[in-house]
Amino acid sequence: MKRRDLLVTIIIPVISILLSFVIGAIIIAALGASPLDALRYLWKGAFGNVRNLGTTFSRATPLIFTTLCACFAYRCGVFNLGGEGQFIIGAIAACYIATKSPLTGFPAILLCAAAGALGGGLWAGAAGLLKVYRGQNEMIITIMLNYVATLFMGVVFTNWLRDGSVPQTVAVPEETQLASFLGLRATVAFPVAVIVGILIYYFLFWTSSGFQFRAVGLNMTAAKVNGFNVRRYILMSFIVSGAIAGLGGALELLGTQLRLINGFASGYGFDGVAMALIASLHPLAGILVAIFFAALRVGSTTMQTATGVPTSVSDIIQALVIVFTVAGMAMVRLPGFRNKFLQKAGKEA
Amino acid sequence: MAEDRKEILRMEHITKQFGYVYANRDVNLSVLEGEVHTLLGENGAGKSTLMNILFGLYQPTEGNIFVRGQKVRIESPSQAVKLGIGMVHQHFMLVEAMTVFENIILGDARSKGIFIDQNARRREIKELSEKYGLDADLDQPITELAVGAQQRVEILKALYRGCDILVLDEPTAALTDQETEGLFEIIKKLKGEGKSVIFISHKMREVLRISDRVTILRAGQTVETLNINDVTGEQLANKMIGRELKSSQYSKTDGNGEDAAVLDHVSYHRNFKHNGLNDVSLKVRHGEIVGIAGVDGNGQSQLAMLMTGNIAPEEGSMDLKKSKVVRFDPSGFIEQNVAHIPEDRNKAGLVGNMSVADNLVLKITKDKRFSDGNGLRLKKKAIHNYALQMQKKYDIRCSSVDQEARNLSGGNQQKIILARELEAAPDLLIAVHPTRGLDIGAARFIHDAIVKERDAGCGVLLISADFDEILEVSDRILVMFEGKIMGEFSGKNPPIEEISLAMAGK
Repeated sequence: MKRRDLLVTIIIPVISILLSFVIGAIIIAALGASPLDALRYLWKGAFGNVRNLGTTFSRATPLIFTTLCACFAYRCGVFNLGGEGQFIIGAIAACYIATKSPLTGFPAILLCAAAGALGGGLWAGAAGLLKVYRGQNEMIITIMLNYVATLFMGVVFTNWLRDGSVPQTVAVPEETQLASFLGLRATVAFPVAVIVGILIYYFLFWTSSGFQFRAVGLNMTAAKVNGFNVRRYILMSFIVSGAIAGLGGALELLGTQLRLINGFASGYGFDGVAMALIASLHPLAGILVAIFFAALRVGSTTMQTATGVPTSVSDIIQALVIVFTVAGMAMVRLPGFRNKFLQKAGKEA
Repeated sequence: MAEDRKEILRMEHITKQFGYVYANRDVNLSVLEGEVHTLLGENGAGKSTLMNILFGLYQPTEGNIFVRGQKVRIESPSQAVKLGIGMVHQHFMLVEAMTVFENIILGDARSKGIFIDQNARRREIKELSEKYGLDADLDQPITELAVGAQQRVEILKALYRGCDILVLDEPTAALTDQETEGLFEIIKKLKGEGKSVIFISHKMREVLRISDRVTILRAGQTVETLNINDVTGEQLANKMIGRELKSSQYSKTDGNGEDAAVLDHVSYHRNFKHNGLNDVSLKVRHGEIVGIAGVDGNGQSQLAMLMTGNIAPEEGSMDLKKSKVVRFDPSGFIEQNVAHIPEDRNKAGLVGNMSVADNLVLKITKDKRFSDGNGLRLKKKAIHNYALQMQKKYDIRCSSVDQEARNLSGGNQQKIILARELEAAPDLLIAVHPTRGLDIGAARFIHDAIVKERDAGCGVLLISADFDEILEVSDRILVMFEGKIMGEFSGKNPPIEEISLAMAGK
C-alpha cells in the first residue's frame, strides 16, 4: 500500500511533466519550429556543458531554499506563503553585516548566514505568534508580510545602504562573496542548499520530533489528544521554515546577486510553494523539482537563440506542470478514483 | 376526545434502509388535527430519520404517507411545505447575517416577482406573531438573538409558509428552563388554533407535560402509540429503553481498590445543559469499571475531555492517584498513565494518513526501544517488528502494518487505539463509545480487553450511549443527564427501570 502511494506521488508529476512537454511541443510546432530541435537546445542550454550546468545550479539554489521552506511548513500543516518575505529579510540582514561590519571573509560569511536565518526565522515567527496565540490566518499574514518585506527592502536600497545615485545597495565586498562550487558558475550555496534539504529530510523522517511534527500536520486534534505540544510545533514550523528561506536569501545575496535591488527575489516565494506541492512535500524531491524548474528557465534562453522559439514557451511548460500536478493530485484524492484504483489493485494482489 | 378529531397525517409501514442498516423498519405514525404528538426514543431509534422522510429529505425504501387522507409522495422540502408541513430542525437553519424579516420571507414561494411587497409581508408576519405570541423584532439580525428567540423565528417561518403540521426536533435541547416554558405556551396556542405538533424528545418530564399522545420508537421500529393520560413516566421509560436484564458474560467486582481518579464538585460551562458539567463528583477506583450511562450529549464528552486533561474545570478539582491535578494538559495526564480511547477515533484517536505502525508507536517514539538518543534516530526496524507483534496480539486485520490507518475498517482502527493505549499498562482508562459502529466480534474483543485491564488493576471509566454495553461490563453505573450525575447504581443486578428513568431525567 505504501509503495503504491509512493508510486502515485511519483507518477503524477512525471505524467504531468510529459503532458506539459507534449503541449509545449505542439505550441512550438505551431510557431513553425521543430519541437525536437527546440527541446534539444532546451536540454543543451540547461545541462549541455559545464558552464550551463553551473548556471542551472546557480539558478536552482534560491528555489531550493524557498521550496524547502514551503515543504517544512506544510508538513506541520502550516501554510506559510511568506517564503519571499522571509528570503528578503534574510538578504537584508546579510547585506547589513556584509557591508557595514568590520568583519570580512569566512567569519563574515558565517555571521551573514546566521543573521539571514535569524531574520527570516523572526519574520515568520511573528506570523506564527499571531496564529498560535490569536488564531489569525497564517496565509493572509504571511502574504501581507511579503509586501512589508519588499517595501522595507526598498527603503534599504533607496536610503540607508544606497550606492551613490543608483537605487541599489553597495555590493558585497569581494572577500565576503561566496566561493565557486567545484569551479562551476554556481557557488557553495548550492551544496549548502542540498545539505539543508538532507537535514530536513532526516529530521522529518528519522527523528521522534520530526515524527510528531508530521503527526501534528496530518491530524492536529489527534496530536493534541495524544499529548503533543501542538503550539510549540506550529511555532517551530514557522520559525524554522522562515530561517530556511532567510538563509537562502543571505546566500543568494553573498553568492549571486551581491546587492539588493528592485526585483530581488521576486517570485521565489510562490515558486517554492508550487515546487513543494509538486514534490509532494518531500524535501529530497523538492531539491530535484527546483533543479528541474531552474533548468527550464536557463535552457530556454539557449532555445530562443538557437531556434527562435521564445522563452515564454518554457514559462508555459512550467505553468502547465504546476496545473497538471495539482489537478492530478486532486483527482487521486477523489473518493471515486481512489476506490476504483484500490479495488483494481486489490484484485491484482 | 381524540377519536372525534380528524387524522391529518398517517405514515404507514415506513421502512428506510441505509445499505444493510435499517434506520426505520415498518414504522407507523398517525397524527390528529390539533394534537401534540410526541415521538419518543433513544438516540438512533429512528426519530430523525422518520421526520426527514416526512420533510422530503429522504425517500422511504417502502411505505406510504397520507396527508389529510390523500396519499402523497414527498420528494423535497419545498413539496413538504406545500403540503403544510413545517419543520424546526434541532440546529436552526437561519442565515445569521440576515434580519428576522429577511429570514422569514427567504425562499417563500409567493415571491414570484422581482420586487417584494415589504409592507404587506410585514403586516402578515406581525399578525401571525401576535396570534401565537411569537414576539420577534423583525429588523434584528439573527446573530443578536438568543437561542430561544431564534427558535421562535423558525416557528414563525414555518407558520408563515402556512404549515398545519409542525415538527419540532428536540426543541428544548438548547433552551433554558424559562425559554422552554415560553415554547410550551406557544405550542399550546398552536394546538388551540388546530395545528398539529410533532414533538421529538427523550425528556420524560416534558413529554408528560406537553403531549396528547406518544409514539415510542425503539431500534427503528414503532413500539406503541399511547394516550398520555393512560401511562406513567416509568412505563414510558421502560418502553423506550425496552430491555430485559440479560446476565452479563463478565464477573462484576465490588471495587474496593484505591482511588485512581476522583472528581470533586466539578463544573464546566454549567449552564449548558448539553455540553457542560454541573457539579459532578465521582470516583474511579483501581480494578473497577465505572459505566456512565445516558443519552448522548448530556455532558459525557466534556467529562471525558476533562478526565484526560483536554479541558480544565471551571469549578471543583480532580485528583489523580490521590494528588490534585494542577495543570490540565493531555501530556501531563499521559505521564500519569492515563489512557484514552477517544470518542471520535478518526478525528482524535488516529492520524489517518500515517501507517498502522506509526499510529501504534505514536506516543512512544522517544522510548529506548524505538529510537536512539532520546528520539534522535528512529529504529524503523524495531517499530516495524513491534507493529507486527501488536497486529497479532490485538488481531488488527490489515494487509500490512505500513498501510495507512484510515484505510482500515472501524473495528480494526479501534484495535490500533486499544493496542496503543493498553500496552502502556495504564492506571486509569477513559473509554468513550469504544464499540460504537463496530460489529459484534470486534465489540466483544474490545470488551474482553477492557475487562482484562480492569483485572490487572486499571481503573476504567466507560462512557457509552449504548445501554447494553454499560450493563454488560460495568461494575458500577452512574447516570448523566444535563451535565449532572443523576444516580449511582450497582453493576450487579442493575435496576433497569430506575436507570432508565434517571437517563430520561426523572
